[in-house]
Formats: sequence, structure tokens, C-alpha cells
Amino acid sequence: MTTKQNDILIEVHNLIAHYGETLVLDGISFTVKRVEIFVVIGGSGCGKTTLLKHMTALLRPTSGSVIYDGADITKMDEEQCAKVQRNIGIAFQSGGLFNSMTVGDNVALPLREYGGSDEDLIHAIVRLKLGMVGLGAAEHLMPGELSGGMRKRAGLARAIALDPPVIYFDEPSAGLDPIMASGLDDLILNLNRLSGITFIIVTHELESIRKIADRVLMLDQGKEIFLGTVEEALTSPVERVRQFFERRADDFIVQRGA
Amino acid sequence: MTTRRIALPASLDQESGRKLLESIKKERIAPGESLLLDFANTQTMDARGGAWIVALAEHARKENAELSWEGQQGDVADFVALIEPGLRAEILKRRETEGFIEHAGSTGIAVAAELREFGGLLVDATYWTLLAPIEGRGFRWGLWTDELYEMGVRAIRINFVMNFLLGLTIAMMSAAQMREFGLGIYVANLVMIGFSRELAAIMTAVVVSARTGAAIAAELATMKVQEEIDALRGMGLNVSQFLVAPKLLALLIVMPCLTALGMLAGIAGGTVWGVLVLEIRWDAWLNQTLSAATIDDIWQGMSKSIAFAIAIVLIGCHNGLRVRGGSRGVGLMTTRAVVMDIFAIVVIDMLFATMFYYVFD
Ligand SMILES: Nc1ncnc2c1ncn2[C@@H]1O[C@H](COP(=O)(O)OP(=O)(O)OP(=O)(O)O)[C@@H](O)[C@H]1O
Ligand SMILES: [Mg+2]
Repeated sequence: MTTKQNDILIEVHNLIAHYGETLVLDGISFTVKRVEIFVVIGGSGCGKTTLLKHMTALLRPTSGSVIYDGADITKMDEEQCAKVQRNIGIAFQSGGLFNSMTVGDNVALPLREYGGSDEDLIHAIVRLKLGMVGLGAAEHLMPGELSGGMRKRAGLARAIALDPPVIYFDEPSAGLDPIMASGLDDLILNLNRLSGITFIIVTHELESIRKIADRVLMLDQGKEIFLGTVEEALTSPVERVRQFFERRADDFIVQRGA
Repeated sequence: MTTRRIALPASLDQESGRKLLESIKKERIAPGESLLLDFANTQTMDARGGAWIVALAEHARKENAELSWEGQQGDVADFVALIEPGLRAEILKRRETEGFIEHAGSTGIAVAAELREFGGLLVDATYWTLLAPIEGRGFRWGLWTDELYEMGVRAIRINFVMNFLLGLTIAMMSAAQMREFGLGIYVANLVMIGFSRELAAIMTAVVVSARTGAAIAAELATMKVQEEIDALRGMGLNVSQFLVAPKLLALLIVMPCLTALGMLAGIAGGTVWGVLVLEIRWDAWLNQTLSAATIDDIWQGMSKSIAFAIAIVLIGCHNGLRVRGGSRGVGLMTTRAVVMDIFAIVVIDMLFATMFYYVFD
């Protein structure tokens, strides 16, 4: 079984990103170690999803670099990117399931494309992954017939179908009941410990952060304001970080937007 | 009642898992026999190995053999706990497809329900488009002007070109016959009557249903899929008032205008052929054209275009609002809307032809 290691898997360096004219990420730098659970937090609209999309080469930054396993993915062409993306799992904020296929076929899709052709094995893997996320009975349903939380779990099952070494997960527990959310935390911890999967997770759930996070990165208005463990966050000198963990409201609601 | 004990390998992975299942499949499972997986020797296992165990469970279920397991320790025990739901999963089957009579029955019911829905939309849309503004209830004039631009102004060029080319084609094709009798000038009559009664209205309706009809269906279907329609309803707003009425009123104005333009474009196309190829003087051609049709002929084309406008908007909205599922549903409903549009255009055209033939002539 895998133990926590110290070598670096992903290195993000001075990442700057815009949507059109709007600056969304303003010089973000951090590293993710192999086999750690790295959590990204921050207020709604601060750029977490955008950061994740840059780390998975779905978006190109204005400047800066993302070094994945020694290679800079921001400098790669489409084909090289695809090769890297094949080896990572991404579970999207709203599931990202293909509406035209059953849940089972959604999970089987990457297996059929990349994982070989043994239908028995593919079927067993689909069964296994759906069972892990508690959707064993939903294999033959269409995504349109699932609830929001079920869709999210099916998205995770698809992301882990190929047993990727790294999984990016956008807000896993939003939309889940506390029991299911806690079960999902256990699943993440188990996959991390037993299969040595590195997780990069965006989440707002304080409970879940306390339980699973090895390290936490906090963003605020596109800037990095904290990087460290949860214990360090609780005593951080930055007011906004403590405010997040103590769950205190602003004196007034900050207005953002272009 | 016998139990077959299966000792699992020390390292359970892709290869050893495959071999294990193959060896088990070789030996037939006797009725009443049950399988016991012994994890005692297993030191490590990975996800692919786990998948083979799930495949094994599937095999056992097919053979009606009970499956149990024991002896797992440490991390392997955790792993087994992780895959356990996959080992136990009972699959829900899709509902059986129905027989012929049931099928015919449920189709009938579905068609009736759809017609009722369409009728409801028709009544609602008529109220919110024609009566509500008069009563002083809300009409979204801002959206209406946007729609006028989108449906009307932006369709002018394509509509002109299509009708012009059709006019040219009609003149070309009929000239071949007419010229033999020295009746080339009568091509002008043919183009004029054809376009004022029929061709401009039809061609314009086809252009509009491909542009606007498809756009309406896709827009409403996407809104429905993304819960925007539910959000509207949840705010107590009426879908017909908010979305359908501005589109309907806009197309009711745009469609006759585009049809009138289509008539001019078609006649222009015919004229170009007549003057340049048949070598008829353009003022003679123009006089012939003007004397060919009466205002009744033009009125027939224009009144048709109003009916087409109503059909295109309502069919688009109706299909958009009926969408099920996600992105695929949006595509299916958009296709369905355009096909129904074309069908409705032909049917309406036939009804008008019948009416003018029996009632007005
Ligand atoms: N496609 C887009 N085009 C333009 N601006 C965008 C786009 N997507 C996001 N933004 C803007 O970028 C900023 C960051 O968005 P992002 O989706 O990364 O936020 P987030 O941190 O994931 O928020 P949440 O927690 O609500 O999901 C927001 O201010 C948003 O308005
Ligand atoms: Mg987000």
C-alpha cells in the first residue's frame, strides 16, 4: 500500500488567467505532492473552477505554467494534452454526464475507449465503480432520471473508471445529504490510501475539509491568500482565512463581477 | 448443499484475477453449490483485481450460486469493503417493452395528451398576445423588438436570395415550353401569379421555419433542461406571457413583411430572366406582370403567411417545452419542430387552396 510521499506531482507557477478582459487568476503558485489530498477553497466566484480547468489543460492561461509530472502542460499541443488528460480523472461541478447514454455506458465510455475490449471486465468495473459511489442500482437509468447529487456521484464513478493516479473533483459534496457526503469523504480517503490516488478537490464543506485535507489552498478574488494544513489555517494571521473556518459572515455582502 | 472453497492468489491484480475467473468458469457449478472466496493468502489487491472479483460475483449470480467471502485482513479487508456494493448489486432492469395493443393504446393516449397540450398553448398564447396587452396586462415590448430584429431584419438577405433564385428558376423552366409558341411574354403572368398566390409564402415559410422555428425550439428546450422554465413558473410568471407572446406577435408582423419581400424578389428573378434571356423589353414585361394578378391573388398569399407564422411559433414553443432529458432531448425536439413545421406548412397551404377554390372563386 502507498504511504504519503514527498515528491512533487504538480507544480503551478505564477498562473495568470483571464476570461476576455476580466482577470480571474492573479499569479497563483503552489505545488501538489504525490498521494496527497489537496483542497482548494474560497468564496463563490473566486476562481476555483477556473484554476481546476487550467490544471487539467481545459483552459489556457494568459501566462504562467502548470508542470504535471515534469512536463509543462500549458506549452503542450492538443495531442500531448490529450495524452495527459487520459491519465487523470475529472469530475465536474454539475456531473458532466452524457445525456444520450445510460449511467453505466457513461462510466464504461473511457474504459471502452482506452481500457481494452474485454466486455466482461468492463462490465465488472462499471459495476464496481457504481457500487463504490452507491449507485449500483442506477446502472440502467439515463442521466436525466437522476437527482443532482446522484449525477455528481455518477460523474465521480466515471472519473475513477480508469483508476487514474490523479483525480480532480469540483465540489464533490455540494448537493449531497450529510450521510452521503460523509460516505463520499470515506471513499476519497480510502481511494487515496488504498490505491494511492492524488486528489485535488474544490469544496466548501468545513467538516469535509477537516476530515480529508492534507493541505489547503485558499483563493480570494483570484489571489492566493493561504497555503498550509487545516491546523495552520485556524491560527492564520490572515483575517479572511480564519473567517472562512469560523464561518463568520461579512459585515456586508461583497459585490463582485466585471 | 456443498461449498466450494476458492483460495485467492497472494497478489490479486489484472492478470491473476483473469486467470482465477477463467479457472472457475471451466468447472461447472452444480445446482445448490455455493462459492466461498478465501482471502487468507491475499497480501495486496488493486482496482483491476477487484473488478475481476465483481465479474466472478456476476458469474455466480448467473449460475444461481451463493457467494460469500472470508479471511480478508488489513488493507485487503478495507478494499473488499470498498468493492462490496459491487459484489452485492442487484441490477434494476429497464421496463419491459409493451405489446402491440398496449403500444397502440399508449400511442393514442400520448397523441391525445399532446393535442390537448397544444390546444392549451394556443389558447394561452392567443390570450397573452392579443387580449392581455389590450387589457393593460404585461407584454414584454423590449423582448418583442429584439425578436423583430432577430426574426425579421436578419432574415431579409437570405429570404431575398432564396426567392430571387426560385423566381429565376421558375421563369427558366417555363420559358422553354412557352417560347415554342411565341408566348414568352406570358412567363411574366406565370411568375406573378405563382409568387403572389403560392411560392413567396411557401418559400418564406420554409426559410423562417429553418431559422426561427428551429431557434425557438432549441432555446425553449435548453431553458427547460436548465430549469429556467421551472424558475419562471416558480416566480409565478406565465411562460406564454413571458416567452411565447413576444415571439408570436413579432412573427405575426415579420412574416407578412418577409412574404411581401419574397414576392418582389421572385418577380425580380423572373424579370431578370425575361429581360436578359427572353429579350423582352423590360417595360412590356412590367406591364404584363402588373396586369396578370389581382389584389385577391396577393391577399391569398399574405393571409397564408399569417397562418404560417402562428404555426411556426407555436410548434417551436410546443416542442421546446416538451423536451425530456438533457442535451440529446434538445436536439431531438429541434428536429421534431422543424419537421412538424414543414408538414404544417404543406397542410395549411392545402387548406387555403381548398378554401379559395370552393369558397371564393
Ligand atoms: N465562461 C466564463 N466567461 C466569463 N467569465 C467567467 C466564465 N466562467 C467564470 N467566469 C467568471 O470567473 C470568475 C471565477 O469563476 P469560477 O467558476 O472559477 O468560480 P468558482 O470559484 O468555481 O465559484 P463557485 O464556488 O461558485 O463554483 C467568476 O467571477 C465568474 O464570473
Ligand atoms: Mg465552481
